[in-house]
Amino acid sequence: MRATVFLFAGAAFLAGARALGQGDRPGTGQSPAGAGAPLALFLLFSFLVIFFIVRSRRGHELFIRRIPGIQAMEEAVGRATELGKKVLYLPGGGKLEDNQTIASLAVLRHVASLSARHATDLAVLNKDPLTFAAARETVQEAYLQAGRPDLYHDEVVTYVTYDQFAFTGAVAGYMVREKPAANFFIGDYQAEALLLAETGQATGAIQIAGTAEVTQLPFFAVVCDYTLMGEELYAAGAYLSREPAMLGSIKGQDFTKAALILYLIAGIVLEVLGVHWLRDFMSIQ
Amino acid sequence: MFWKLRLPLILTFLVGCVPVVTFFLAERVPGVSIVPTTVERYMVIIAGFALLLGVVNVVQGSVRRIAQRRPGWPFAISLLAGLLVMGSFGVLSALRVGPFQGLLAGPRGEVTPFLWMTRHFFDPLQAAIFSLLAFYIASAAFRAFRVRNLEAALLIIAAFLVMLGRTPLGEYIFRWAPGGERWLPGLTDWFMAVPNTAAQRGVIIGAALGAASLSLRVILGIERSYLGAKER
Amino acid sequence: MKLERLVRLDRRIIYLLIAVGTLLPILWRIGFPVSPTPPVQALFARLETLGPGDIVLASFDYGPTTAPEITPMARAVLRHCFERRIRVVAIALFPLGGVTMGGEVLGEMAAEYPALRDGEDYVYLGYKDGTQAAMKLMGASFASVFPFSNAGVPVEEIPLMQQVRNYADIDLVVSFSTNVIGEWWANLVNAQFGVPVAVGTTAVWAPKHFAFLDSGQILGLLGGLKGASEYEHLLVAAYPRLEPLYERAGVYTAMKGMDAQTVDHAIIMLFILIGNAAHFWMRRRESARRPG
Repeated sequence: MRATVFLFAGAAFLAGARALGQGDRPGTGQSPAGAGAPLALFLLFSFLVIFFIVRSRRGHELFIRRIPGIQAMEEAVGRATELGKKVLYLPGGGKLEDNQTIASLAVLRHVASLSARHATDLAVLNKDPLTFAAARETVQEAYLQAGRPDLYHDEVVTYVTYDQFAFTGAVAGYMVREKPAANFFIGDYQAEALLLAETGQATGAIQIAGTAEVTQLPFFAVVCDYTLMGEELYAAGAYLSREPAMLGSIKGQDFTKAALILYLIAGIVLEVLGVHWLRDFMSIQ
Repeated sequence: MFWKLRLPLILTFLVGCVPVVTFFLAERVPGVSIVPTTVERYMVIIAGFALLLGVVNVVQGSVRRIAQRRPGWPFAISLLAGLLVMGSFGVLSALRVGPFQGLLAGPRGEVTPFLWMTRHFFDPLQAAIFSLLAFYIASAAFRAFRVRNLEAALLIIAAFLVMLGRTPLGEYIFRWAPGGERWLPGLTDWFMAVPNTAAQRGVIIGAALGAASLSLRVILGIERSYLGAKER
Repeated sequence: MKLERLVRLDRRIIYLLIAVGTLLPILWRIGFPVSPTPPVQALFARLETLGPGDIVLASFDYGPTTAPEITPMARAVLRHCFERRIRVVAIALFPLGGVTMGGEVLGEMAAEYPALRDGEDYVYLGYKDGTQAAMKLMGASFASVFPFSNAGVPVEEIPLMQQVRNYADIDLVVSFSTNVIGEWWANLVNAQFGVPVAVGTTAVWAPKHFAFLDSGQILGLLGGLKGASEYEHLLVAAYPRLEPLYERAGVYTAMKGMDAQTVDHAIIMLFILIGNAAHFWMRRRESARRPG
């Protein structure tokens, strides 16, 4: 029944968005292009996310599979506690408005909370100044909520530099001197990914990475002990909080992905049969 | 509570809706696309002020390290010296004071002091750190590329294919056969164009949906980690 | 005992061999042959169809850190354009050094063609912030994004720019990019305005661009130093008078850089084979020792 409703709703969205989305682009003399497909996808996605948020708030249990990298975070902080060493957290090189950085701050709150509860030293080194300001607030709040505001001091969260390789050099030097027992690389990383991860590996730290940057995932996957890949990073904050609204949004995004997979299969079948409607609808040129 | 939480959430909702709305209205309402551009410019200005906050933090930390003679305190002196020199060169060059006439080369190609510092200090230091990648990739490959299971074996085969196919070595190996110099590079190209592209697309779609979900949570005020507050 | 040492080889030995493998081919050129691949040939073939009446938009979207990979391809493409008297409008959208890269490379290449005139055959408009916003606005009007050239001349006074209103007047966009800017040219500019786009990018980012190549959103792709060396090879084969420029001693080219890259790849593969051989031998020995 539910599947039927979704199928009809989806078809209605497609037809309506196709009708709304057609139009010329003024001033360029280019061929007409429509916003039908993006609009349809946006509406479908929003509907599914909000539907599952409402559903989860009404008490329905939502299953989210186990993510090893997230499960290992407590183990990593515990290891640092046993060894009497620091936990190093890097929220990546992205700006504060980047989704990966926002996701990283959600994970940072959890790691800071663990560190506060275990009375383990935490060091958060930042590349972006706005992220530094937000990270400071996040960590302070986490320590307060863990009941250990006394453990927080100014040098827990520090700003290093904005330049990519100057930041990498500084952090690598920090890792070699301080030898943290646990390294967290969560956020947007570029060429510095392997440099940081390999340096951390040489110091013997347990390393958990998380990024949606497809070009750097292979390096993290090869060098780090656990890697959160792509959407696992975005789901981490929701997974850790277990808030119904957050879990509902993950469910909504998963159902959207399922809808896209069905669309792809339908598109392939129709293309083989010589029907090009679905392909043309998705074309935005 | 209003200033610390509610007002930022209201602003987030309003500003977050702007790019979404303008994307769909850009063709129908002329001039609306200036809104996200203006917002982006505001962000650049805000980031400039935040940079000042970061610099103050760096200076405070370094001065404290020197005063307390903590391990590595001489490096804090070199950091402050670099910050002072490069920073003052930059400000003086932007204001065009005395010999500091601009950040880039002059109209007749003459090198300004800031550009000289960039070319002789900044660029070589950047290149030095970046070049460590070559060494690290070798040591990471040696340590991690071990055939422990089927997936690891497939990974190594793919790595060898691409490494051979992307260099002239791949052409040399089968040169003895007619058309053989194109076998490995051709296989590499197929590998990059088909399995690699398929895998990348899958990860990109998943990550994009995850990012969209997070964005929606931020716009609706459910995700509040960026404010330092607990989520609702 | 020796097998354990081989499996856990000191990384400094690896570093030393990589250093030697990089340095020696630079000092003594090996001259490995280069065969062009279809993504590179596609861009070359497209530029071969353009001529004096056509305009290419060259976007310098990279900085000094990736210059060793991307500058050779930028030089080769600009030389190709100038050989064929294709007019070039150059811009920079990368904030950290893009404007310097653009100015230097365009200046060097233009100096090799003294008959070409700044403002008529090529122009450098400089850097603009807000990458995606700038790309979208250029679809309506270049002048609104770049009211002045990098030299401070109003664009309405530049003869070349009097013929360029927006993307409709551009025959090809070539983005020399690091990170995601090349993708934006593909999925913003090509997708929304229909102008052909080609991308030259680093080897790390090239795999991601194959999706756009496959879907036709970019017509050519130069991936890393290999892509640059292939383009140089095609250029020298089609325009033999350029060969001395690439053979000059002391001048860095992608074809010379490929020697070092090839040797380093060989060293890495050798170490992987040695590590796996030792690993397998150790496992065999341990299972032979195990009772039952």
